[in-house]
Amino acid sequence: MAGKIVADTLEHSTAGSIATNYVVEGSAKAWFNLNAATPALRDSFNIASITDEGTGQYEGNFTSAMGNGDYSANGSSTVKGSSNSFSNIFTTGDPDNTYGLHSTAAIRGNNYSYNASINSDPQMLQVTVHGDLA
Amino acid sequence: MNTPDFKGTHLFDRLCWAKENLDGVQSDYRVVYEDSIDECAKILVPDPNWMACALQGGILPPVWVYWELAKDEAQPDFKKHTRGYLLHQTEPMPAMTEEEAIEYLIQKDVPQHVWKTWNEGNKPKMVICKKEQLPQTREWRNAWRISDDLELAA
Repeated sequence: MAGKIVADTLEHSTAGSIATNYVVEGSAKAWFNLNAATPALRDSFNIASITDEGTGQYEGNFTSAMGNGDYSANGSSTVKGSSNSFSNIFTTGDPDNTYGLHSTAAIRGNNYSYNASINSDPQMLQVTVHGDLA
Repeated sequence: MNTPDFKGTHLFDRLCWAKENLDGVQSDYRVVYEDSIDECAKILVPDPNWMACALQGGILPPVWVYWELAKDEAQPDFKKHTRGYLLHQTEPMPAMTEEEAIEYLIQKDVPQHVWKTWNEGNKPKMVICKKEQLPQTREWRNAWRISDDLELAA
């Protein structure tokens, strides 16, 4: 690929240096911003599709697979009410893949509304994935 | 814009190029499928950036690569992928039409037992439709099913 630079270290003139593996290993490997009320993706990276599996249940399918299932995924969401925005919790995966899914091909999660005490479809759901690629 | 020669380039790097150079394409197609009689219908929504890659060509690997990785992950002693090179070193797919891209996506992201037997049984297990054909609100989402009135296509 044209423009390729191979380097193990990046050095700033005054602020010091950093090994490039910090950048490679620390960068997000996938993310998406979903309007789950439609549902439709606003924007994303390394996502091939979203599977709408029911109220508050979504799966993001990766284009470039993760190397293993031990990656970290974080999500947050907002449901806008008539007078305020409601708090939600978005959970992804668990050791037995009972409530969510961490596979190398996809991440599945549940969006739970504290206010309604039930799964809900937020207007904005954001998920970021860190870990190693295959 | 022509796609650079990406054979042997890490798929993640190809996606970085696509993100910088291609505009997302929102598809009107949706894939509705049922993979369990106990669950509601699921709906596959194509990603706009992924669709742009499919239409551009020269970026995405052939779909059989994903099947090979899925076979590896299904092994009981699976720890991590050792054949990730298949994603990066296999000759990328040429440009697809939107319809071809949806077929590819079905074979990638819909369970195989659904798309391989979609037309077996009393009604289709999978339907490709336009988003306007879906219910316009999410009311009773967990009860959505493919209509019993649909006939199997030949």
